[in-house]
Amino acid sequence: MVQHARESGRLNATFAALADPTRRTILARLAAGEASVTELGEPFAMSLPAISKHLKVLERAGLIARGREAQWRPCRLEAGPLKDAAKWIEHYRRFWEESLDRLDQYLWELQKKEEKNARNK
Amino acid sequence: MLATSDAAAEAAERTLVITRVFDAPRALVWQAWTDPDQMVRWMGPRGFCSKVLRMDARIGGSYHFYMRGPNNDDHWQVGVYREITPPERLSYTYAWADAQGRPTRPETVLTLILEEQGKQDQSDSVSSAVRLGHRARPPSRRMGSSLDRLSEYLAA
Repeated sequence: MVQHARESGRLNATFAALADPTRRTILARLAAGEASVTELGEPFAMSLPAISKHLKVLERAGLIARGREAQWRPCRLEAGPLKDAAKWIEHYRRFWEESLDRLDQYLWELQKKEEKNARNK
Repeated sequence: MLATSDAAAEAAERTLVITRVFDAPRALVWQAWTDPDQMVRWMGPRGFCSKVLRMDARIGGSYHFYMRGPNNDDHWQVGVYREITPPERLSYTYAWADAQGRPTRPETVLTLILEEQGKQDQSDSVSSAVRLGHRARPPSRRMGSSLDRLSEYLAA
């Protein structure tokens, strides 16, 4: 119980951090490489403190890490939690896509059988 | 690597959405999903065989499914039915579990919306579109029913 509550909490932190379009844009930018807070703020009509707030949410969710240098604290993407979220979706995508393939086949066979029975009557 | 904002957006919605069209009337698809004898014929990925241990298909009723994978690996699923509106909407919770029906993974919510598409072209065939939404359920339920929000999302 404890283990999957923890796992669920971690996934939720990731999902909550991803729910905001500004934060998603920031992550997409960081996928191309490290960037400073100023660079990350450029595409947005937003104050630096507002951008910093978003970065804190991403950092808390473990989605990004920040450098130690006092002035230039480059942000970089941390792939782990994103991979976990993607893994969750991929796990179920495979499960359902393959189940639905089998359902499609089953429905086809079922209807063939019904047609045959109707013809034989 | 999940680098595009599209993939991130899907993750952000906490929901996997799959739409499928079947060459079958909606009533048949509905039965295949709610009749235990039919469900075991197709539920699970290729190479899996399944068995319904318990299936009480009414609101608040629970189910317990067993699945054996291609490597003789054992899997169980448990959940509770939340919405049953034949033949158009079905929603239930869903979690991997153990043989006793105790969840071993976080609970999720599955919602199905079935729509009949009517006779196409000149043939007699009727097809049905099924929209399947599988949502990782947030532990806090403070923002109203996540089910309502999922239906809005699926309807959009």
